[in-house]
Amino acid sequence: MTLLVGRRVLLVEDESLVAMLAEDMLLELGCEVVVAMRLDKALAQARTGSFDLAVLDVNLGDARSYPIADLLFERHTPFLFATGYGRQGLEDAYKAVPVLQKPYQAAPLEHLLTRLLMEEPLARPGTRGSSMACACHTPNGQPIRADHCR
Amino acid sequence: MPNSRQPLQSTAVASAPLVSLRRGAGQLFETERRLNAVLNNASVSIFLMDDRQHCIYMNRAAEQLTGWTLDEVLARDCPLHDIVHHTYPDGRPFPLHECAIDRAFPENNQERGEEVFVHRDGHFYPVGFTASPIRDDATNIIGTIIEVRDISEEKAAAERQRLLINELNHRVKNTLATVQSIAAQTFRGPPDPAARGVFDARMVALSTAHNVLVEDNWESASLRSVIERALAPHLLAEVDLNRFQLQGPDARLHPKVAVTLAMALHELMTNAAKYGALSVPEGQIVLTWSLHDLEDGRQQLNLRWEECGGPAVTPPARKGFGSRLIERQLPMEFDGSAEITYAPAGVICELQIPLTTLGWVGQETIEGRQAS
Repeated sequence: MTLLVGRRVLLVEDESLVAMLAEDMLLELGCEVVVAMRLDKALAQARTGSFDLAVLDVNLGDARSYPIADLLFERHTPFLFATGYGRQGLEDAYKAVPVLQKPYQAAPLEHLLTRLLMEEPLARPGTRGSSMACACHTPNGQPIRADHCR
Repeated sequence: MPNSRQPLQSTAVASAPLVSLRRGAGQLFETERRLNAVLNNASVSIFLMDDRQHCIYMNRAAEQLTGWTLDEVLARDCPLHDIVHHTYPDGRPFPLHECAIDRAFPENNQERGEEVFVHRDGHFYPVGFTASPIRDDATNIIGTIIEVRDISEEKAAAERQRLLINELNHRVKNTLATVQSIAAQTFRGPPDPAARGVFDARMVALSTAHNVLVEDNWESASLRSVIERALAPHLLAEVDLNRFQLQGPDARLHPKVAVTLAMALHELMTNAAKYGALSVPEGQIVLTWSLHDLEDGRQQLNLRWEECGGPAVTPPARKGFGSRLIERQLPMEFDGSAEITYAPAGVICELQIPLTTLGWVGQETIEGRQAS
């Protein structure tokens, strides 16, 4: 989808090989990618860089990526969480953030990123997301499996 | 139905348990002695309650569990609830009428449940209880016998198990994502019949790195083992010491460091076998490493890979998976640095890796350490 071409994306992913894969997927979608693999580096990027979108791995080994999420909320940068746990693995304050189920897949990644760009800025922590109804979600807000999105 | 109950005596004969068991005066002493031996050696706490929920007998295990002696409890002359169950864990008062044990004054034998009691010293502890009615000859309920067990250990074990399963889930998901990434990197571009062999070898390298981790319960890996396993030609073989000179101290590596380093070494090996020192019989590789203290208290691993005796080296036209992993990903993952030099006499790779502190989110709980 052309909407993603040329967009600057902050990718936060702490495993070398997994980061490679996600970066390649974003590059293939036409995005410009900045990779950060450690909490401090990602915070520095989120603080000083200018991004259209962000993709955050939740578990950064010895830390969680929530402080980055807080910064992105402040800066009105739309973002999603990429996690193997699914939504139930998120802290309550972040449950309105869209979740991309790992392993990474190009189609749902593209779908969610495009939707983030078309939406209003994300709800602040503690409030419900504005429009969770889309092809990737059942009516009760539960994400369905990513392979249904093809 | 409190009216149908005949109260057990809670004063004069309180310390003589189960008076109804008396059959004759001659047997009394022997029976009581036997019962006391049973009750005071039982590991489960036993409370005998009258129909006002006053405790009229408790065994030695119950005294140890609650921190109160039977004499003290009798002297309080109040429901047992007000002595051992008076406060919710969040600090709110816990009135008797809200108490599940009290409400469930059992009509049936062996009613079970879980509650949180307050020790005499103020700390809370989870208990499992079993309550059964005591009936008189006319089957009226005249009291309750309650067995109580401290289930702190079981609760802690369940919590440890929950955290371990979460961690396992995380690691399995990560490993699958790693495999997915290796497949994507190996099979990108036009179809190549050799790619399948390259992929299989990378899978073996990943699997071998995990074997080293399992040796230490996934907590850490021995640096020397990671190196030796990565450089061995296959699973059943040792490192060929005619080919490799290895020199450096052992260290404990965080699992993340172990896996990425093993994959990096595998890529260097593959490249050396295809183009470098391992592609000719006389070629050698010298691998040396050392550890240095950093200012923040961590250690840094400095590792140098140097090939010699191979064909003259020319820099590759295109950087592949191996150099991307080593020169770009590895420094970003560990806040270190990496450089591959294509010197004519042989490839040199130098890595500086600050060693991540061992441990993972939730590990303190698993090992019973307090996070604070």
